[in-house]
Amino acid sequence: MSAAAQLDRTLTALADPRRRHVLELLRERPRRAGELARAVGLRPPALSRHLRVLKSSGLVREAHPGFDARVRIYTLRPEPIAQLKTWLERTEQLWERQLAAFKAYLEQPQ
Amino acid sequence: MSSTVLVSLRVAATPERAFEAFTREIGTWWRPNALFGFTSGTPGRLAFESGLDGRFIETTPDGRIFEIGRITAWEPGSRLAFTWRQSTFAAGQCTEVEVRFDAVGAETRVTVEHRGWDSVPDGHAARHGFPDRIFLLRHAEWWRALLESLGERSAAP
Repeated sequence: MSAAAQLDRTLTALADPRRRHVLELLRERPRRAGELARAVGLRPPALSRHLRVLKSSGLVREAHPGFDARVRIYTLRPEPIAQLKTWLERTEQLWERQLAAFKAYLEQPQ
Repeated sequence: MSSTVLVSLRVAATPERAFEAFTREIGTWWRPNALFGFTSGTPGRLAFESGLDGRFIETTPDGRIFEIGRITAWEPGSRLAFTWRQSTFAAGQCTEVEVRFDAVGAETRVTVEHRGWDSVPDGHAARHGFPDRIFLLRHAEWWRALLESLGERSAAP
């Protein structure tokens, strides 16, 4: 997947308020699916649809603890967010340089 | 920090002259940037086709033309806006750039606002089911908070 396509998926995943709520909760610490369902106020099947979108966008990782394979634990993955941050930093740097070049050009002695 | 980049600079020229130089003479002052190439390969020369809906293009050294975007606002001496797509972007993906020229005494403040994927205009946002502008604003705030919190986390020992 290209960087731009990944970014688009990240943002699409974030377009839903319940998915953002899940991410807010995972920012604090990893949580079990049942715990997330209760906190967000959704029935487990509805929550699992949202978790699927979050997983496929790479924002969330699913794991099973060693002691019980039926339990699912969700953790926030920072990579897609770091990518957005990189885009912002590069874009800012680009325009700082271009405007400096524009100013130098415009103000050069005739 | 939000997903909008804002950069501003003052130049010793009138807004009319700054607008003209920015648009008609971009091929002369623009510095090609390897990280931000519109196309792969040797960077070419940029040009705006003047007027609303005019193209913003790059002509490569071998004569090929790549359309970076289209002009969405053309107000000589005050405002310019255009869409911006790099060759690495997926089909249909676009960002938008708005440039404002404000007189400050005898000089001009040039402000560039580059809006990312999550804050491009309604037409594009609608594709993802974003309900309205208020939502987009909240969305940007949410990003800012999230980026800050992650920044703190990565800075922690």
